Amino acid sequence: MARHPLAAEGPVWLARGSAGPPRRVVTLAPSLTDEVLALGLGDRLVGVTNVDDAPEVHGLPRVGGFTDPNPEAILGLRPDLVLWVTDGGAEEPVRRVAELSRTSSRPFGVLALDVVSVADVLATPRVVGEALGAPEAGARLSREMTDEVERIRARARGLPRRRVLLVVGLDPLVVAGPGSFPDELLRIVGCQNAVGGKRPWPVYPLEKAVADDPDLVVNAAVREPPEGLDRLAAVPAVRRGAVVRLRSDDLLRPGPRMIRGLGELFDAIQREPKR
Amino acid sequence: MILSPRARLTLALTAAAATVALAVAVSCALGPQPVSLAAAFRGVDPDAAIVLGIRLPRAVVAALVGCALAAAGTALQALLRNALAEPFVLGVSGGAALGGSLVLAAAAGLGQVATGAGAVLGAAPPVALGAVGGAAAATLLVFALGRLGGRLVPEAALLVGVVFNAFAAGVITLLRLLLPPAQQSRLLYWLAGAVGYQPPGTIAAGGALILLSAGALVLLSARLNLLTLGDEEAASLGLDVRRARTVVFFAASTATGAAVALGGLVGFVGLIVPHLVRRLVGPDHRLLVPASALFGAAFLVLADALARLLFLPLGTEPPVGAVTAFLGGPFFLWLLRRSARPEAGGRA
Repeated sequence: MARHPLAAEGPVWLARGSAGPPRRVVTLAPSLTDEVLALGLGDRLVGVTNVDDAPEVHGLPRVGGFTDPNPEAILGLRPDLVLWVTDGGAEEPVRRVAELSRTSSRPFGVLALDVVSVADVLATPRVVGEALGAPEAGARLSREMTDEVERIRARARGLPRRRVLLVVGLDPLVVAGPGSFPDELLRIVGCQNAVGGKRPWPVYPLEKAVADDPDLVVNAAVREPPEGLDRLAAVPAVRRGAVVRLRSDDLLRPGPRMIRGLGELFDAIQREPKR
Repeated sequence: MILSPRARLTLALTAAAATVALAVAVSCALGPQPVSLAAAFRGVDPDAAIVLGIRLPRAVVAALVGCALAAAGTALQALLRNALAEPFVLGVSGGAALGGSLVLAAAAGLGQVATGAGAVLGAAPPVALGAVGGAAAATLLVFALGRLGGRLVPEAALLVGVVFNAFAAGVITLLRLLLPPAQQSRLLYWLAGAVGYQPPGTIAAGGALILLSAGALVLLSARLNLLTLGDEEAASLGLDVRRARTVVFFAASTATGAAVALGGLVGFVGLIVPHLVRRLVGPDHRLLVPASALFGAAFLVLADALARLLFLPLGTEPPVGAVTAFLGGPFFLWLLRRSARPEAGGRA
């Protein structure tokens, strides 16, 4: 599927539902669940993925994974809106669900949100709010998130620019490269990504990490044991102890949590002594 | 009671077709979501959408893939004169996966220069053609390198297949690294063999290719009987061995390529099914090929239903290829041990 960046081109309706605000919503990404919760509309959720971990949706039915949603489970919940963050792996099942909605006696909306950049993340609440019939709440949340990003950007201005290696996975080593949204987040907190090249989420050779010689390593691979960082012992910054381990993976959740994670990242970087 | 060959054929095919119908019915009735079949047939949603829009197409794709792999397996066993020959083990499926992946990677590369052209090349039909081409190339390679001193040595061909599989897997891993993230997950999803969510046009095109090639193998089944006698004997009975072999070759490659394009890497169907069917109907390919094709369809439909139900408590499902490998791996080893016993002879 061709890309349709959300902020620039708006969402793509794969299927249209009947008029009126939807009451039974299925989200196919934890970040979308977060959006619905942040809009105060959590009572409309009837199904989430099996990687959703927000306590509010603890008891809700699961409709499969982030990359392998189960169409049958989705239809079984009789949704009137399905929200999806565009992902190549899930494309066929989601398209099948949309096709079945279009031919169904009671069609429901299937909305695809192509979220790649920080601008896309900031546009998401507005789009989700509109889809749920709560445009004011959505626009407000988008504005609040944007304001918070700008506040952090302003605070970071004038601080020394440090070159940061943002580690997303330790085994294998996966880092945030150019074109990924964490790359933008690093610039917002006044840093520069130590990783060059063209790939957004490269599996990174250890040698390159050493040669890049970052000033600071940010370990965002919070689901892996912290000792995993020992693999990076050859990186001078790791030897110096210039390492920040994030407390949660909020930063990598392209929704309201990302903003929280951004604040955490900024504070942590400021606490680190400069080289 | 001794039946005429025609009566045996009719009986076997009726039984096989009934089994396919039963398997499809079972597959439509079973799934994670409790549904009412009565409501589904009255057209009440979501029951109708689940049974007719999700389970039925999925059963149809599983049936097509199973039919293609079992028919190709039977044909390859005749060509190689060895019961261990099978599209997956021989590397034919691996070649198809490699061919399809190459087209996907080329599409991603072309998409960098010209977005429209990349999208056209990355659509389902070119990827399927790549898979068929890859399957044919792998078959040629395996049969060419499996010749030692001018004679086809089954064990050598099988070894070439195993090595080619490892090679193809390595190249696919490299290709995956070259793809943008969205395409990477598409490739993984395809190769894992999650069947049945493809758009109807893709299923129809793949189905047509499979029915044509499996049909061709059925028409060629009398020649397969001659080919199993050995090249010299077949030639002395008036068969143009080279030509017959080439046609079987391409029919089996096309069937495998289309099956991989639809269902990803599903192994061992072409091993398990022909072996069991041979026990049922005997070694005559005029009976064996059509019966294997139909029982292969039923087998994979049921294996897919099993995959869907097996991990239900965990809220997930393995790809059907995992189920067939779980059954087929030990089965292959058992066949290998059995055919190695001197009293069983070289051929099982």
